[in-house]
Amino acid sequence: MSPDNLDIQNSLDKDLIASVTDLKVYFESKQGMVHSVDGVSFDIVDGEMMGLVGETGCGKSVTARTFMQLVQSPPGVLAGGNIKFRSKNSKSGSQVIDLLDLSENQIRELRGERIAMIFQDPGKALNPGLTIRTQIAEVFQEHRENDVLEKAGLKNKLTGVTEYFVKKYIKQEAGFLVTTLLKIPPLSTYKKKIDNGINRLVAEALEETQIPNPTKVMERFPHELSGGMKQRVMIAQAIACNPDLLIADEPTTALDVTVQARVLDLIKELQKRHKTSVLYISHDLSLVRRICDRIAVMYAGQIVETGDAETIFNQPKHPYTQGLINALPSMSHERGKLEAIEGIVPELIEPEPGCRFVSRCKRRKANCKKIDPKLQPISEVDKSHKVACLLYES
Amino acid sequence: MTNSKNTILSLRNVKKHFPIKEGVFQNVVGQVHAVDGVSFDIGAGETVGLVGESGCGKTTIGRCVSGLEPLTDGDIFFDLTPEKLVALEDFEKHQSEIKNKHLIDEIQSTSNISKIEGDDFYNYRRNCQMVFQDSFSSLSPRQLVSDIVSRPLKIHKVCADNELIPRTIELLEQVGLGKQHLYRFPHQFSGGQRQRISIARALALDPKLIVLDEPTSALDVSVQAQILNLLHDLQKQRGLSYLFITHNLSVIRHMADKIVVMYLGKVVEAGNTEDIFSNPQHPYTKALLAASPDLSEDVVSDMAALDGPIPDPARPPQGCSFRTRCPVSRTECGWEVDDIIRRLEHHETLIDSIKSVEQPDAFNAKFTFETSLSATELKDAIGTNDIPKQMRKAIKKIEVDGNDVNISFEPVQTVPLVQTDNGSLSRCVLVNK
Repeated sequence: MSPDNLDIQNSLDKDLIASVTDLKVYFESKQGMVHSVDGVSFDIVDGEMMGLVGETGCGKSVTARTFMQLVQSPPGVLAGGNIKFRSKNSKSGSQVIDLLDLSENQIRELRGERIAMIFQDPGKALNPGLTIRTQIAEVFQEHRENDVLEKAGLKNKLTGVTEYFVKKYIKQEAGFLVTTLLKIPPLSTYKKKIDNGINRLVAEALEETQIPNPTKVMERFPHELSGGMKQRVMIAQAIACNPDLLIADEPTTALDVTVQARVLDLIKELQKRHKTSVLYISHDLSLVRRICDRIAVMYAGQIVETGDAETIFNQPKHPYTQGLINALPSMSHERGKLEAIEGIVPELIEPEPGCRFVSRCKRRKANCKKIDPKLQPISEVDKSHKVACLLYES
Repeated sequence: MTNSKNTILSLRNVKKHFPIKEGVFQNVVGQVHAVDGVSFDIGAGETVGLVGESGCGKTTIGRCVSGLEPLTDGDIFFDLTPEKLVALEDFEKHQSEIKNKHLIDEIQSTSNISKIEGDDFYNYRRNCQMVFQDSFSSLSPRQLVSDIVSRPLKIHKVCADNELIPRTIELLEQVGLGKQHLYRFPHQFSGGQRQRISIARALALDPKLIVLDEPTSALDVSVQAQILNLLHDLQKQRGLSYLFITHNLSVIRHMADKIVVMYLGKVVEAGNTEDIFSNPQHPYTKALLAASPDLSEDVVSDMAALDGPIPDPARPPQGCSFRTRCPVSRTECGWEVDDIIRRLEHHETLIDSIKSVEQPDAFNAKFTFETSLSATELKDAIGTNDIPKQMRKAIKKIEVDGNDVNISFEPVQTVPLVQTDNGSLSRCVLVNK
């Protein structure tokens, strides 16, 4: 491969933090290949909050998990496409990488450090057997060795074998010998200092998410905390290393509306303060509209519409987006006259060509079953508003 | 308030407490006040929405109404004629002078669901059906749809064996399913279809009341719209009454005629849907409205997101239970010692140095510290802005005596539900004035 070629491969527009191109993730099943994500392309602008909306089973979570190579394989099959990601502030400076090309070790370095994820159910995502401290400390121990040393007041003070031992301890790679040695002075004093340093870092991370009394909460187990608190711990864990991209996979679905409002405010505030880019995944269109700058609407493994949050909400073009917005109960609907989208989501096993929404669409035409609609700008003026529908193709 | 319609369901001061058991012998050490004195009526053909956060007792009420939980106290009356309702209200007002004793006795023996027995209770069970939130766990995975839907028909012997299947098909068709679905298992259906099966089962006995416990919260928006339309059509056809339990305010606004807002086992606001949405009186209702994203466009509310701890339902507060999170709390909201303890949890050193707390009642307490330094520290902490200003004002007396601190608050009475200007009921000291 010539250097020239390589340059094209790794190029990314200056204002973008990540770009997904023609991503295809399939799953093997007894009935055949399930095309969960089938040709998804979208960009995330640096510092923005991007919303990915869709119904159950449309592939939004799979898309998000592919960012961090969390899709299990088998049964998952990466059938094509790439995700380019600009990793800023990393050790080797700013660089553009393809997340799908990375090896297991390389992606481990990125996870939690440059890309972090908040999961839907904090009750399941946190380990019930470990204290909050242990779980958040892991992020620092894995990625922030120097910060831990600095907090412990041991930076540049250790040499030789001592340094090697202490670093092993921080990285949680200490074997039997090192563990035993660390119990004996003078190494035991270092161990204590390191522990204190980690405690301070964890407390600071928790404090950032407005958890009252972080040093007490730290020693608790997940089951001792309320749902909102658990979600805050998850957020603290995710933003601990100040990542470039935060993926939030329905972070408030399991919470009450009042708690949800608090958590949303918190995510928004942290995003502004750290200038993190956020990919916010949700099934709730109105919620996404409230916090996101741009929205991409997914249906059956494909993106059907993308654009500014307000544009999508006020001038939806794709029949599916229109249906989704009309299905929300609101003042303008007479009772019993909600505009439901009839029918059900099509099977994604070896789908036939043509628009996926055709069976439920009220405005379908003869061609819809034959031609695959492409995601393209709706007008010459507004390049950002794109729709995949034959109605708007000239 | 007199109308010609029957009142399908009338809850009178319903209480449900769950015992907290501890130790080897499972001694009862306390009571969780899940539902604490709830009253409301459901008229024939009416939909009453029950809203609140998780843990406020709304599901418990649903279970009490459908007879799945025995009541701790209070009464639930079923199907009262207007005369009976008037007699009952009369009886409650003037307990001593009973005018028409025989009517009251009749009501108690035929309509009070915790007292009726035998055929009457059987009849009640027929007339009150339930649709549960999670259609995965409320439909038996081992039964065919035909078994599930026809089971109530068999148990209540409403039709002959050879009519069972035609009747089941009829029911399925009413909910938008068909003959082809008869011999399938629940796992072969999507979430929306499963919820339709649940509704078909609930309709089988032609009930008067259906308790809908979060029927659409597990569904997608587009499917939710289908189910809501279906529920409305069925109500129109059959004159059903619904008790609609949900946390989703836009759904409740769309479906309900009347709304009951609950907080910590108590009703904080109740009234007609439009009154509550256009002019909420209670701060909690205002905050709820402000917090739900899909309403923000047409609901005007200046409430910030709620902060602060929810009181323990095992020790429900004497005064207003919402004061700990209320952005417009007052001195007279009924602040008590528990609030200080809850605030103390933010001060690690202080809470660690507490030796004992003597608490003769909710409003007086004696904190004993290990050192007199901590005792003065507590007094100082109460003086700072960490503590809400209104709470500080409510403190009647605070004295440091060596290692002890005596604190007493102004005692208050329970805040009653009162009629507001727009006709709804609200439980707030601000409305009282």
